[in-house]
Amino acid sequence: MATILLIIHGLVAVALLGAATHQTLATWRHARARPGSFLGRFRAVPSAAFADAIVLLYVLSALLGAVVYLYFRVDVRPGLERGAHWPALGFFDIKEHFVSIGLALLPAYWICWQPPLVGALARTRAALTTILACIVWWNFLVGHVVNNIKGLGS
Amino acid sequence: MTGSSACRRFAFAFGPAFAVIYVIALARDLALFTVYPSLGIVLAGTHHARDTVSPSMGFLAPAMYWYGWTATAALGALVFGLAAAILPERWTRRLWSGWVWVVPLGAMMACVYLTLPWFRLYL
Repeated sequence: MATILLIIHGLVAVALLGAATHQTLATWRHARARPGSFLGRFRAVPSAAFADAIVLLYVLSALLGAVVYLYFRVDVRPGLERGAHWPALGFFDIKEHFVSIGLALLPAYWICWQPPLVGALARTRAALTTILACIVWWNFLVGHVVNNIKGLGS
Repeated sequence: MTGSSACRRFAFAFGPAFAVIYVIALARDLALFTVYPSLGIVLAGTHHARDTVSPSMGFLAPAMYWYGWTATAALGALVFGLAAAILPERWTRRLWSGWVWVVPLGAMMACVYLTLPWFRLYL
């Protein structure tokens, strides 16, 4: 069961990673890439259209992570402690803190992206989007690395 | 007071308040409840294995506080959010909207600082 949940958690995280990265790059597209180039097309997405999906995917990913975390604490972490993987445990702790703070930012993030987009909130919108994207990237990489050290079911 | 502006004030107060209270809960170990996943029980408040048994026995019933810290912060932030939502708009209009991301960013740095003991074990 834990392995199935972990795989679903990972798949949701991949979707979230893509959406958050797309939106962040589109938000910071002041220095426009050459039109027609790969980067230009990558950035030229309607940013606001991603907001609902990102909120939904973030909440779903956090919920799945919160469930998998129970298995992690009992089955995985003791092994990491015995193996003295202290930095991995530290990085994982930072991941859990960032998840919570990111969750709390979602209401403000969602409101900032509601049409019509308010110009006065442009910088706040960009900052919140970037912070969420950084959290998603950090959590994805740390989760991946910790799973590689001693994954569930190993 | 329109519904949307009240929602906005709630959201813009909730995020930073949550971040600050989360750091306080983390630093002061103020979990609303403690989860023991191996036993399948949840106890109100913060409990440590060393409170009841030898610290060396802690591995038998590992405790989890993250859920409790998050609940503490969510509850506290809810109060601040609701307070901001019912305040007259003119009271909050002059507040810089950037606080909604500056405060959580600072809280994230504080969380990293509070996690440093893990890394000192490695040195």
